[in-house]
Amino acid sequence: MPEGFDSAAWLARTRAEGDVAAWLERIPYARRIGVSVEADSEGGGLCFRLEPHAGNVGNALLPALHGGVVAAFMETAATLDLMLAAREARLPRIVDLSIDYLRTARAVPTFARCELLREGRRLANVQVTAWQERESVPVATARLHFMLGVPGGGEA
Amino acid sequence: MTSLPERSTEAWRRALSRFVHMLPHTRELGIEVLAVDADGVRMRLPWCDDLLGDASRGLVHGGVLTMLLDSVCGSAVLRGLPAPEVCPTLDLRVDHFRPAVAGLALHAEARVIRVTPSVVFTEGVLWQEAGRPVARGIGNFVRLESRSTPPGFAEALFAHERVEEARHA
Repeated sequence: MPEGFDSAAWLARTRAEGDVAAWLERIPYARRIGVSVEADSEGGGLCFRLEPHAGNVGNALLPALHGGVVAAFMETAATLDLMLAAREARLPRIVDLSIDYLRTARAVPTFARCELLREGRRLANVQVTAWQERESVPVATARLHFMLGVPGGGEA
Repeated sequence: MTSLPERSTEAWRRALSRFVHMLPHTRELGIEVLAVDADGVRMRLPWCDDLLGDASRGLVHGGVLTMLLDSVCGSAVLRGLPAPEVCPTLDLRVDHFRPAVAGLALHAEARVIRVTPSVVFTEGVLWQEAGRPVARGIGNFVRLESRSTPPGFAEALFAHERVEEARHA
């Protein structure tokens, strides 16, 4: 069976198994910056993790993570969370993103959790919160719009 | 804070090259500063397979575009201030006009729209082929005055430029 986001069968199977790690393996930039996923310990949803790789640093003096890397991490989390949370197998394509940087993201592990605020027929709105030491002290929040593509076809 | 002497466009290009090489992430990706003038900053991100968001469909990760816009807008901030300050990104908005595709370098251009005592407003655009923008960004950066700018920051950016300065003096 062909594997990859262009295969509707593979997408349906990995989705049924909740195999978000298999999706991450096929996202080279997410692998480069060090994104992983774990089932949320408090139940419901996924918790994503960004490794504090030396290559993710944007300010070597503090040091702090590159704001763009934090954004890329949050976009990855939003996309995969949406693929799992959507009513049917869908391939999200980003339309726009808005990110607010609330605090300096230090070079320590960063976590993200997503909320699907609206899933329409063609469009979805996802809210993402990223934090480091404590979830109640976010380092960034973002919201993203996605077009919902049909696997192996066009947009819904 | 004192203003720096007027620098040539080539001195600025080298200074902002030094800046993107101070940032481990942009250094490792090999971002090049192509041109810097009063209107803004132009950069190029060479192609590498790590930029992919979907290898099977050959699409660039959207986060790469956000990262590049943050980098180019942040560099434009340095050029747009009376003297370079370290200004963290306050917020960033990215519009994706069309997918960026595998195998082509990404070009970036950004300029400062307005500088106030507390905020620098910027906008930037990305493309792979001329006339076909892939994304637009609007980034606002905070001025923290001397609190976040280490002593000697501007001087470090323009180290090695003294010969040229002397020539212009």
